[in-house]
Amino acid sequence: MSKKTKILLVDNDVDFIDLNKTVLENSGFEVAVAYAGREVMDKVKFEKPDLIVLDLMMEKHDTGFGVARALKADPVYKDIPILMLTAVGSETGMDFSQELDGYWMKTDDYANKPLSPEELIKRINELLERNKKA
Amino acid sequence: MEEPICILVVDDEKGIREGCRRILVAEGHKVDVAENGKVGLEMVKNQHYDLLVVDLMMPVMGGIDMMGHVKEIDPDIIMIVITGFATIETAVDAIKHGAYDYVPKPFTPDNLIAVINRGIETRRLRLQTRRLMEERDQKLLEIANEKSKMHAIINSMADGILVINRENQLVLWNPAAIRMLNLHEQPESGRDLPEVIKNDGLLRVIKKACSPEAINYTSITEEIELPPPESKTLMVNVSVIRDDESGQDLGLVATLRDITSLKELDKLKSQFVAMVTHELRAPVSAIEGYLTAFLTGAAGNDPQMYKQMMERARQRARALLELINDLLQFSKLESKSAVRKKELLDISGIIINTVELLKGQGESKDLKFEIDVPESLPLIEADKTEMEQLFTNLVSNAIKYNVKNGKVMVSAKPNKHFLDIKVADTGIGIEADCLPCIFDEFYRVSCPETRYTTGTGLGLSIVKKIVESHFGRIDVESTPGKGTTFTVRLPIKQRK
Repeated sequence: MSKKTKILLVDNDVDFIDLNKTVLENSGFEVAVAYAGREVMDKVKFEKPDLIVLDLMMEKHDTGFGVARALKADPVYKDIPILMLTAVGSETGMDFSQELDGYWMKTDDYANKPLSPEELIKRINELLERNKKA
Repeated sequence: MEEPICILVVDDEKGIREGCRRILVAEGHKVDVAENGKVGLEMVKNQHYDLLVVDLMMPVMGGIDMMGHVKEIDPDIIMIVITGFATIETAVDAIKHGAYDYVPKPFTPDNLIAVINRGIETRRLRLQTRRLMEERDQKLLEIANEKSKMHAIINSMADGILVINRENQLVLWNPAAIRMLNLHEQPESGRDLPEVIKNDGLLRVIKKACSPEAINYTSITEEIELPPPESKTLMVNVSVIRDDESGQDLGLVATLRDITSLKELDKLKSQFVAMVTHELRAPVSAIEGYLTAFLTGAAGNDPQMYKQMMERARQRARALLELINDLLQFSKLESKSAVRKKELLDISGIIINTVELLKGQGESKDLKFEIDVPESLPLIEADKTEMEQLFTNLVSNAIKYNVKNGKVMVSAKPNKHFLDIKVADTGIGIEADCLPCIFDEFYRVSCPETRYTTGTGLGLSIVKKIVESHFGRIDVESTPGKGTTFTVRLPIKQRK
């Protein structure tokens, strides 16, 4: 039996994590969780996930951008694909676009919340496929 | 019709006096006579004359004497001397004393009329000259006044002004413009614009206003950014001044307005909207996620799991309602600053009632409540509803973030000019690095203990707004693992 794919879910919304952890586990993934940006690095080191689902705007001083930058700047972890999620689109006048961020890799993806469990699994699988080829 | 010319004839010889009068009246003039210099001088003092015809040799006061005095009264009067000693010396002497001309005796009516007519013409010219001079002086004064008025207005304007001529030279500016553009020295008038102003953005807008495409616009308005260290945003309006007839450009006027603080407000507003959006979306997407998982069976087939999910969905729905209430409260506080309904209040009852009402929420944790509030307190001037809101938020936080078998302590006592109200708990406490943020909108301390506690992140922002609108202050002390104490100080308005 092959090793399960491990996903790290990062979000400050406990319900988002609880729900998607259950859903992902039911779909055959192994799931680790982090509730704040500052927990991510330790979790990544410890859990060695195959993919990270990262919420963009977790807290005022602790955004997903900072986490993504730190990961992409690290030679060991820069290749872990990131699925960045945000609940805040450009319609609010705040720009959260991956194009603005130089660290963004083409192996990564970006999705708007809310995101149904099926959609999340679909995006995770697509991203994993893309990275297998790359 | 023109005013008649007024002539005074002064001669001691009645024949000459009357003869002159007859001749001059026939010419259409108004004529008075006097028999000597003294009488004549009195008449000049009381009445206005254009011409004076005066005999040199008279008893009481002679012509030379009289002329001296008359000139002091009216320097523009035309004085014509009648002299029996028609010598060059007397004539010259008379003219030295201010006479305009002289008529030697004996004279014919035509002699007199000719001299008088010349005198009248001169008088007219003298008066006109004087009037023009006065007008000119008045105009100059008005111009000077206008100029200093304009100067004062332009210099005291908060907006910066730059006037540029068609040669692209700076010809006028005000201190606000110097300040905004941070020009270290006062520029000289007539310097080429690019020599004085180094900001490319501003130069570009000015150039654009001068371009042929701009002919259809009356003015151009653009925002320009000043680079650090200024880091300001200016709104620049450039109007081209055109000659109405020829359509030729005469120059341009640029006004500068510092909109840095407006931009900042705008940014704050956008951030607030973004945060509200985020906060509203989070519970809705959680509820939606749970419902979808429930309906599709995506979470497996454990009924206990689904029951838990539905319970969480309900909690999030309740939290969303709370959030909407808090948002309404929040915007009400923002807009209400001017129309707050303040009355003299004894808030002891409000505090005690609030604690009683909220006690139920602490049952599951078996909390103990200690209330140390006297039955009557000095009066404060406050909005009753807002006071209820204030203590509800503080006490419910003390309950929400408490531990099992913990305590909630509420006390109130006067302290000099203030009323100190303390709301303390023995809860989880707040880390020191989080303390500065707890009054920020939507800020919630994230820690494992509060992961499943719902909250809007607005409770303490509302508390702070209420306290500040009542001229009070709020302080917080906290030890992680031991508890948190909020102290609200409100000014006492009246002692009992």
